[in-house]
Amino acid sequence: MSGFKYGVSLYSYTDDLGTVMTLEDAFDHVAETGSTGIEILGEANIAGYPEPSSAWLDKWFALIDQYKLEPTNMASWLDTCLTLDHTMSVEEGAAQVAQDLRLADRLGFKFIRPKFGVIDEELTPHPIWEATIERNLDLANKLSIVIVPEIHSPTPIKHPVTDAYIEFIERTGTKNFGIMIDTGIFQDRPLPYWPGETPEIRAAALSFLDGIKVPVEHLADVIQYVPFIQAKFHHIDENLHDHHIPWEKVIPMLKKLGYTGYLSSEYEGVRDPWVAIEQVRRQHCLIRKLEREAEAAQEKLDA
Amino acid sequence: MLERTHIQSSGFRNTGEPGAYDGFQVRLRQPNYRGTRLSLLAGIDITVDGETYRSVDNRFVVGGREYTHAELLAATEDRWEVGTYMTVLIKRPEGLQAGVHDVSSEIAFRHPYFPPQFQPTFVRDNRKITIII
Repeated sequence: MSGFKYGVSLYSYTDDLGTVMTLEDAFDHVAETGSTGIEILGEANIAGYPEPSSAWLDKWFALIDQYKLEPTNMASWLDTCLTLDHTMSVEEGAAQVAQDLRLADRLGFKFIRPKFGVIDEELTPHPIWEATIERNLDLANKLSIVIVPEIHSPTPIKHPVTDAYIEFIERTGTKNFGIMIDTGIFQDRPLPYWPGETPEIRAAALSFLDGIKVPVEHLADVIQYVPFIQAKFHHIDENLHDHHIPWEKVIPMLKKLGYTGYLSSEYEGVRDPWVAIEQVRRQHCLIRKLEREAEAAQEKLDA
Repeated sequence: MLERTHIQSSGFRNTGEPGAYDGFQVRLRQPNYRGTRLSLLAGIDITVDGETYRSVDNRFVVGGREYTHAELLAATEDRWEVGTYMTVLIKRPEGLQAGVHDVSSEIAFRHPYFPPQFQPTFVRDNRKITIII
């Protein structure tokens, strides 16, 4: 039975990078989890983005080689409200995506995740998204990159945003566009209050932080369009108990559906120095354990 | 490497000539998780010992270039990178007295992928830092 691929997004080490951790330190921590893949945020982890220096590029390729990590996904952004009075045109959006595709290709990435500007609290992407992406499908095809916007809380799987992405794939017949699932959609217990957040603010505007509790069964409807998963999580205790994401449901379902792509860790919790390093390691231990258990259960059924 | 706090200790000093200071400056670490187009900033206010210095009156040095508030909001292709600081230049005749000051920063970000009701989003910090001379 083929298994998941394991990776880590450098988003996990937010605030550590640049204060108590270098890019090389981060490569070491990712490689030490036993991962094969590294995910980055273009505008966070590439010095000089969108035009890194040749010295930076040399360092990047040396690190990839030294730590034997495969570049997986490069996160990018479509900043639709460019200024207070100028909204990005389709031409400007298409140029942004083309620039990120070329940069991702140069660095060896196989996916880019454009984060589209939104127009409402349902996270409906700005209408330029569709033409912007369509104009880049040929380039993505030429570069063998898959463009994967994410389904991220508070947007669930059964939602017009997801439907629009699937309709786009069906209409164009493209193999270079897919859906990224952020596992935060399965969160079924409340997150602690963020600094400055109050119960009133949570109730009024941030109730999704209590968890939108998407049933894992809904994955079956979309899994054929999902080539990459960001394994979002917030806290795993010393008993390997995740306080918010029900991995014991998510992992068996992904195994049952035959998912063999990346699970790329996205730690988003307490930002005290170095906490993320241990949290990511616990997540990998937990998910690998659940994957082994799911495989053993399947073998028993097959026997 | 920078201090974890947004407000940095180093860089906090008076500007101009000793005896004729015309203001002071303070460094802020980029607090967002991604590098940010300057045009996605909506303003940066600094408060020292209870007195607030508004963004429109301040100037900002990012990546070696100096911007006014209006120039900052118009700069779509210049970025404030993760792991770097900007220096906020503030006018104040005679500068600040040597000693420890209570400093607050309020950075307003426009995150295009946040719903309209969260525009802008404020990121705040407060700490005590020292003017040496």
